[in-house]
Amino acid sequence: MSDNFKSALFALATAVICSLLLTAASSGLKPYQEENIEVDRKKNILKSIGLIEEGRTYTFGTISSMYAENITSMQVDAGGQAVEEGSVSKTGLPIYLYTRDGSVKAYVLPINSRGLWGKIYGYLALESDGSTVSGFTVYQHSETPGLGGEIEKNWFQKNFKGKRIVDHEGNFVSIGIAKPATTAAMSEAEKANYVDGISGATLTGRFLSAGLKEILSEYEPVSIRFRSNEMLLVPQVPEAQEDGQ
Amino acid sequence: MKLTQSRHFKAFSEPLIQNNPVSMQMLGICSALAVTVQMKTAIVMALSLTFVLAFSNLTISSMRNIIPRNIRMIVELSVIATLVIIADQVLRAFFYDISKQLSVFVGLIITNCIVMGRAETFALGNSPGLSFLDGLGNGAGYGSVLISVALIRETLGAGKFLGVGIIPEFLYQAGYENMGFMQLAPAAFIIIGLLVWLQKTLVKN
Repeated sequence: MSDNFKSALFALATAVICSLLLTAASSGLKPYQEENIEVDRKKNILKSIGLIEEGRTYTFGTISSMYAENITSMQVDAGGQAVEEGSVSKTGLPIYLYTRDGSVKAYVLPINSRGLWGKIYGYLALESDGSTVSGFTVYQHSETPGLGGEIEKNWFQKNFKGKRIVDHEGNFVSIGIAKPATTAAMSEAEKANYVDGISGATLTGRFLSAGLKEILSEYEPVSIRFRSNEMLLVPQVPEAQEDGQ
Repeated sequence: MKLTQSRHFKAFSEPLIQNNPVSMQMLGICSALAVTVQMKTAIVMALSLTFVLAFSNLTISSMRNIIPRNIRMIVELSVIATLVIIADQVLRAFFYDISKQLSVFVGLIITNCIVMGRAETFALGNSPGLSFLDGLGNGAGYGSVLISVALIRETLGAGKFLGVGIIPEFLYQAGYENMGFMQLAPAAFIIIGLLVWLQKTLVKN
């Protein structure tokens, strides 16, 4: 048997064995990983509306039951009307409503923004007045650890709380990330629309600002309904039989 | 022959101090900078690397007589990459929070020079048992540096040990502040430099 043939055979055998091992590991562990991702997603929604405290550990069960108690997930159309999930004819926007005692306290928008190196996924929660940010979280990103990666840290995210997506006259302006030096020169009214950025991560901030603006403008019709107090109750899917859940 | 004189014991113990992969051979520095802000991530990273190193040494050493010379490195790399991906998948399944904090660094064990270096210089020339011990020893040597650096950085930088505050409240009230610099990568450089100095002085004497 020639040496080259032997090498090729050996390489083939190695590749087959390695790929079998990887397939086994990946498919065997998938259910656990998916559960983790799902719980992490729920945890981030709860965190964006301030139900989860930083530094405390929560069990999977607690997260799931807190989520089930407080959050209604649905799809709404541009007018804020509920759309049946999976209906193809109407393009629904996913939205998570935080309800307490039957009334909506806050609503959470999924964030899917461009970042410097990849997509940034997270949640932005707005209070039911339709203009005040209640919280912001990031659960998946590919930014540089230590620089843009700081967007996943609490010190950055807590800056969003209380900021406004409208100016003092009530017009939509979105929320931006700016260098602290820039925000220092702003008037008090303008400061409410900006959060302090991360040094060394100007581009991540710029992409995230643009992403947030795009998503917030897409949801603006819904936010307008919140501002005019038309969304205090959970909207129902037309012709749906269930109540209030 | 005493236990401490045996070849097996030496394979394990030499890389701990005299021939430490990080502080003596200057390998694996990049990950030592990145994951040592907290003790928790440093420990998990050290365990993952030890796992990969021990089993890659074991596997490569078992195959050392049948690996064709011309594709030696590719085969080594496939073995290492497979082990790293398995370690990463296990972390994602059972230690999701830590695996998120470690982000890319577990995956980057593939490029960690310690792993390839031990496969080439040790596993190809020694028996599987010895190679396995050499892997454990090098992993422990890497881990000991990582944990020492993390201990200093977490204590001084965040006033915590494994996430629990250890600096008493009255010190903060008396004006003590956490050293923010310790949270940044350059601090790890300085600490590793000091550790290397200390160790070289100790080994020389």
